[in-house]
Amino acid sequence: MANNHFETVSIGNIQVHVLPSTKFKTTTFVAYIGQELKPETVTKTALLPAVLQRGTQSTPTTIELKRKLDDLYGAILFGDVSKRGERHLMEFGLEIANERYLQDKPALLEEGLSFFTEVLFAPATEGNGFKASYVEAEKKNLKQKIESLQDDKIRYAAQRMVEEMCKGEPYALFNHGRLADLEQLGATELYTYYQDVIRTCPIDLYCVGNVSTEQVVELLRDRLASQATGQRKTYTLAPVVREVKEEKVVVDRLNVKQGKLNIGCRTQTEITSNDYPALVVYNGILGGFPHSKLFRNVREKASLAYYCSSRLESLKGLLMIQSGIEIGNFQRAVDIIKEQLEAMRQGRIDQQELEQTKATLTNAYKEQQDRSYELIHFHHQSVLAGQERTLEQMLQAIQRVSIEDVVRVAQKVQLDTIYFLRD
Amino acid sequence: MQKIEFAQIQETLFYEKLPNGLHVYILPKQGFSKTYATFTTKYGSVDNTFQVPGKEKISVPDGIAHFLEHKMFEQPSGEDVFQEFSRQGASANAFTSFTRTAYLFSCTDHVDKNLTTLLDFVQSPHFTDENVEKEKGIIGQEIRMYDDNPDWRSYFGLIEAMYQKHPVKIDIAGTVESIAQINKELLYTCYETFYHPSNMLLFVVGAVDPERTMTLIRENQAAKKFEQQAEIVRFFDEEPDEVAQPLNEMKLSVGISKCLFGFKEGKAWTQVEGEAALKQELATQIVLEALVGPATELYQSLYDEGLIDDNFGFDYSLESGFGFSMMGGDTPNPDRLLERIREELPKKIDQGISQDTFDRIRKKKIGSNLRYLNSPEWIANQFTSYQFKGVDLFRIIPMLEELTLADVNERMKEHIDWSRFAVSLVRPLG
Repeated sequence: MANNHFETVSIGNIQVHVLPSTKFKTTTFVAYIGQELKPETVTKTALLPAVLQRGTQSTPTTIELKRKLDDLYGAILFGDVSKRGERHLMEFGLEIANERYLQDKPALLEEGLSFFTEVLFAPATEGNGFKASYVEAEKKNLKQKIESLQDDKIRYAAQRMVEEMCKGEPYALFNHGRLADLEQLGATELYTYYQDVIRTCPIDLYCVGNVSTEQVVELLRDRLASQATGQRKTYTLAPVVREVKEEKVVVDRLNVKQGKLNIGCRTQTEITSNDYPALVVYNGILGGFPHSKLFRNVREKASLAYYCSSRLESLKGLLMIQSGIEIGNFQRAVDIIKEQLEAMRQGRIDQQELEQTKATLTNAYKEQQDRSYELIHFHHQSVLAGQERTLEQMLQAIQRVSIEDVVRVAQKVQLDTIYFLRD
Repeated sequence: MQKIEFAQIQETLFYEKLPNGLHVYILPKQGFSKTYATFTTKYGSVDNTFQVPGKEKISVPDGIAHFLEHKMFEQPSGEDVFQEFSRQGASANAFTSFTRTAYLFSCTDHVDKNLTTLLDFVQSPHFTDENVEKEKGIIGQEIRMYDDNPDWRSYFGLIEAMYQKHPVKIDIAGTVESIAQINKELLYTCYETFYHPSNMLLFVVGAVDPERTMTLIRENQAAKKFEQQAEIVRFFDEEPDEVAQPLNEMKLSVGISKCLFGFKEGKAWTQVEGEAALKQELATQIVLEALVGPATELYQSLYDEGLIDDNFGFDYSLESGFGFSMMGGDTPNPDRLLERIREELPKKIDQGISQDTFDRIRKKKIGSNLRYLNSPEWIANQFTSYQFKGVDLFRIIPMLEELTLADVNERMKEHIDWSRFAVSLVRPLG
């Protein structure tokens, strides 16, 4: 197996992770800034990446910023928020061509890194705040983003299911925030918040490409110096164990042609647990692949759906099942899905299902190594979990999982909420 | 086996045309763990009227190419081929577009076995009355899923607005009614017409040894018998230059309006192939970037006015017989957005694109191309799609370097023709 280990160097209180690799024609930088997921900050955190991408001190207008990116051979800059367990992560990235594949070898690594740190730490400002026009425009955009959630019925149903299932828990929050907070949020308040975030929240900076660690760290040292002092918060895991007292059924109505069925379960298993690899195998046998029980029984045998699958939210210990079905088939689909959960609990799993799942999981993990973003994502998962599990360790652990291990995990899984979006 | 080197991007491509007519390409990727392979037939949703050599001309139900794609996974043993791929640790899939049907897998182990599985399952159809009927429920739900997807509806809405006759206006999956007419005999007819090796292309990219892999493919194909096939004749009604309707409007359950607009390519510009097609495609992409790209004054002012947001995008499609540009996204005020576009584009066309703008966009496109070359999926799919229209994927960077400002300004005048402008609008209900 090719080397896929990041070298980690601390620059003050910022962690820099570098993976030198010759297989990519571009260099990828990613920064994660992790905030707690909570109602008071969710909307502000959601708004920040958009505002930071509007302008920097050297390119204060958006048009200058976009042209700068084009001049850097079409470097891609992005920023967004995601919900990982009860962490609200800001993720920024810059991907830039490696000059060795260009005719006129410009110094793209240095320029790219320099610009990326400027986007993060030297935004365009006026007075004591961000530029007010940027904040107002991005508030409008965020409002549209929140309102347009219902345009994508599959995502809408997934979010509604989580809201119902995790009522009262931070995880119920929508990662793009709440409409009610937007109105009174101003450029100065947001800037004050931003300064607090970059001073106190954990920051991890990644670089993958045909680079050397020394070179990247050298380029970053001065650029990070003023940010990297003082104490930062650390990552803690969300509570995972939560006894289900009774199964909830929630039905929403919208103008849909197809019913969207989402079922949420509590796995009661933490990502740091020794049972976690068995949980990953459990999810694979149940609904991760076309050979899985859900696909075979709901789609292939009963012809009820085009898609029916399950996935894990590992940092919150949830397992989510989703399918799109004819509205009249709700009960049939729920019954078949429940039968599959029961079959898992009873150990009605054959050797072939176990072997297929191990083989496809192994493949999925190994394939991540060919994508810079997935390499970064996998490593950062360990940072969030507070416990390193390398790719090799994960692969070995999966190989060791037995049917008994899967059944033990299955018996902990509890169905919590059945959500149905219908006409 | 031919060996083609691309020095600047440091890639080497291997090629061979097999005796049965199959085109095979292999691109080894240094340092990669995975191998990705696509086995593609030049047969898509638009190929709905054709003549099997020596037989009568026929028209087939809408959605049959896509239906056939689903049914190829069925095996004589009764087990679908996903099971076999899973045992071999591969992730398999397929897709149908307007002009292609592709079968694919990716894996990090057992490449030889998976490649053999891919070749064998696509070359051994097994359709029964029962398995054809069963699929109608599954595809019915796939169609319903797209019915609930407003982005897809507005995308197709624009194509419907542009095209009067050409089958590109028909949804790739067909309708619940059209797929009801599909039976196993029709599927075999389509299969026998379009799945002959001479109408297909195999692309393997990733962690492979080209010699060994080519030998495996050669032997696999030599062991199978294929009748010689005469050229397939496809029929398309004459498509007028004019759009079918300038505005296609619908109301759906959405939070915000969706507005897509673009220019239908005139007939003269949909008959191009090879280098000319690549030049036209790249030049048009540069035109769109110069007109409505994120670094333009127009984009920024529309953004500041709140008429567009960061999902505003643009694209250009060019195939034999049809072509169009497409721009747009979510907007709270589509009428105002269209008004601004109609006001501003003519001014920009009068001014022409400047040398600075052209140089900046060309740089951007060269950098983007390097980024795409990180993706085995992009290489295989894009290479195949280009090859079917006689275009060489690895000519993109050299062609970008050869393009001149005059070429691009000329292209802008050809393409931006308001008599071929159409709009697709999705408004919120109520």
